[in-house]
Amino acid sequence: ATDNHPKMLKYRCSGCIAVGKSLNSRNFSKLLHCCPYQCDRHKVIVEAEDRYKNELRKSLLCNKKILLTPRRRQLRSES
Amino acid sequence: MFQGQRGWFCGSVGEELRQFWVDEGGSISDPRAADFLFSCDASHPDTLRIYQSLDYIEDNATVFHAHYLSAVANAEIKNSVTLGHFILPPECLQKEIRRKLGNFIWEQDQHFQIEKHYEV
Ligand SMILES: [Zn+2]
Repeated sequence: ATDNHPKMLKYRCSGCIAVGKSLNSRNFSKLLHCCPYQCDRHKVIVEAEDRYKNELRKSLLCNKKILLTPRRRQLRSES
Repeated sequence: MFQGQRGWFCGSVGEELRQFWVDEGGSISDPRAADFLFSCDASHPDTLRIYQSLDYIEDNATVFHAHYLSAVANAEIKNSVTLGHFILPPECLQKEIRRKLGNFIWEQDQHFQIEKHYEV
């Protein structure tokens, strides 16, 4: 029985077994990220997307800093 | 099947699939309010906007290939189709993913027409 265990897990990737109404565009990514036994397919996609998101996040943060710095200073001097 | 669900459709999605969504009880909405985001082309400007949105960055927006809907339409048991196999990643990642995993499921679309479950 113990021999079957890893094999079973291999086929229990949340992204692969979950069907039906509960899943949608809003919760799917979180579901995959929480899945401790992602299949190869989902692992590769998640990793690639995460890399893309990180790069975007970085560039967004840079933009935000530039936009927010003057405003923050203003608020501080008012209080 | 899609009763009470809101769907957003990229301009790249054909009218047929949109109609199927509505026929199955789904409604059409804007991307912020949608439960489902469907596209047929990751490089279409509508879809690019999703990939650059905060929702996407914060893992709150997965784009699915609209061929999911045709797979559902062709399936004997409608809610047996795995939504998770229809993730549509940004265009710039697809080449790399394809190199590692082979074609995406929506690129093997013909199989949906041919493959049928015969009762034994
Ligand atoms: Zn999987």
